[in-house]
Amino acid sequence: MINGTIFKQTLRSNVKLWLMFTIVLSILQVVMIAVFDASTLENVGGLVEGTPLAGLLAQTTLLSMLASTFYSIHGVIFPIIFIIMTANSLIASQVDRGSMAYLLSTPTKRSTIIMTQAIYLIMALIVMFLIETVAGIVSIQVFQSDTDIVVSDFVMLNLGLLLLMFAISGISFFFSSYCNLTKNSLAFGAGIPIAFFLFHLLSTVDQSLDVLNYFTINALFDTTAILEGENYWWKLSVLLGIGIVLYIASLEVFKRKDLPL
Amino acid sequence: MAIIELQNVTKDYGDSRGIFNINLSIELGEAVGFVGTNGAGKTTTIRHLMGFLKSNSGTVKIKNLDAWYDAAEIKQWIGYIPGEIAFPDVKTGWEFIHQQAELLQLKDLSFANHLIERLQLDPSANIKRMSKGMKQKTAIVAALMANSPILIFDEPTTGLDPLMREEFIQIVKEEKAKGKTIFMSSHMFEEIEETCDKVVMIKEGKIITMESISTIMSNENQQFIIEFSNDQECNRFMKEQIDSVAISNTTVSVDVDNQTLNTLLAVLSKYQFDNLTEQKHTLQDQFYNLYSGGQLHD
Repeated sequence: MINGTIFKQTLRSNVKLWLMFTIVLSILQVVMIAVFDASTLENVGGLVEGTPLAGLLAQTTLLSMLASTFYSIHGVIFPIIFIIMTANSLIASQVDRGSMAYLLSTPTKRSTIIMTQAIYLIMALIVMFLIETVAGIVSIQVFQSDTDIVVSDFVMLNLGLLLLMFAISGISFFFSSYCNLTKNSLAFGAGIPIAFFLFHLLSTVDQSLDVLNYFTINALFDTTAILEGENYWWKLSVLLGIGIVLYIASLEVFKRKDLPL
Repeated sequence: MAIIELQNVTKDYGDSRGIFNINLSIELGEAVGFVGTNGAGKTTTIRHLMGFLKSNSGTVKIKNLDAWYDAAEIKQWIGYIPGEIAFPDVKTGWEFIHQQAELLQLKDLSFANHLIERLQLDPSANIKRMSKGMKQKTAIVAALMANSPILIFDEPTTGLDPLMREEFIQIVKEEKAKGKTIFMSSHMFEEIEETCDKVVMIKEGKIITMESISTIMSNENQQFIIEFSNDQECNRFMKEQIDSVAISNTTVSVDVDNQTLNTLLAVLSKYQFDNLTEQKHTLQDQFYNLYSGGQLHD
């Protein structure tokens, strides 16, 4: 159900973008781990005591610092941009430009095209986070060998982030499959993930904005729960479920829709 | 046996756009031309054949398989040139041709090479920098290289220069001689006159005629335009027992059938005239008649 020729072609035209994002993401991760210094943060924590920022800097372990920075901002928005660009180019832009006609003028099923493209996007994310995780673990060993870090918690943060990205890629991929025009695919496939990201970010700024957390799937990647050993599995399972449902929906709408080719 | 068969196919886009109740049957080895104004429904019909669009009602069948549900299976017999050429994201023409060959599971590229030579195409060129004509040639090679028994072309000669158009017509004729079934839309009437057995005309989403080319081009009835030297000659001629219509003071149009051609010539020998031209019955006349309701005079 996967076509090697299409996969090779997809890989060739998308691998550069993937490589760029993977490198940037890994470097960010490494830099943040490398510059972490518990004592500096404690000093800063003293300065901001009594301000809203105090909560942000209350805990000063490496992982909690990463959780409130990398795992809520950089590590989220960079992969989201990668997903938006890639998901759109995998289906919608090819329908919009008309080049999809060439795939479909050969004995290739529509479902084969969707599955091949979906596999590329999912694999790209898995390998991206695998590299980022390995880079993280290595730099922890190199730069923070004297700090006490629970590696399994670190891995869980990355797995959680991967599942969040899987769900978000489902959103972008669905609209890429559903829309015939790039502009519509991007309006929803980029608009929704970015809105989710912003809702989540705002909700951490002030208590009064907490309600926004109910309108974003990013809240299902609960870093506090992971670090404090609370039950987080059901939230991650929901993310996995959202992703699976959206990918199946993508397949079904693409099989049934009219293509202006 | 009908290779391509459309029965009561309707696709309504609202505002009376779309195609309505299309019935069309193309036999094995037949070449059918498809003409109509812009927006008449040619491309919509072709998209149904390719399984890109699902009709609101009616059936589209190719080799007795449903063009929508069995789209992938049908494609093994079809060579297709889209109306709008947009290539996948590849570097060169060769890369594109090889990729299409792979998807078609075609190993032998000798026919592709033969076509490339005839069309004077350079597939090593950067595909994004190709001229419109070059892109069209690349699309033609990709559509024909697998030797598919059914050929569906949507305006295949757009962007080709007159020499290449001639070459393309030759290629299509050869393909037809191999027994292929051909369905092509075009705005180039000579192209259809030269290659097709039948022509289908579509207007506002409805098929208005389906006629054989030989009927349209038939010369059982001939029409001549005669330009006399002066008014007197012309007036004198109008009184003859010949079916004539005055176009101006000095010119008349005469309709004759094969039997009365000699009579006309005998009568004419007694007159002084400057010019005698035969009005060819062409697809173009037929087209103008049906679409604008008027006869075309050059």
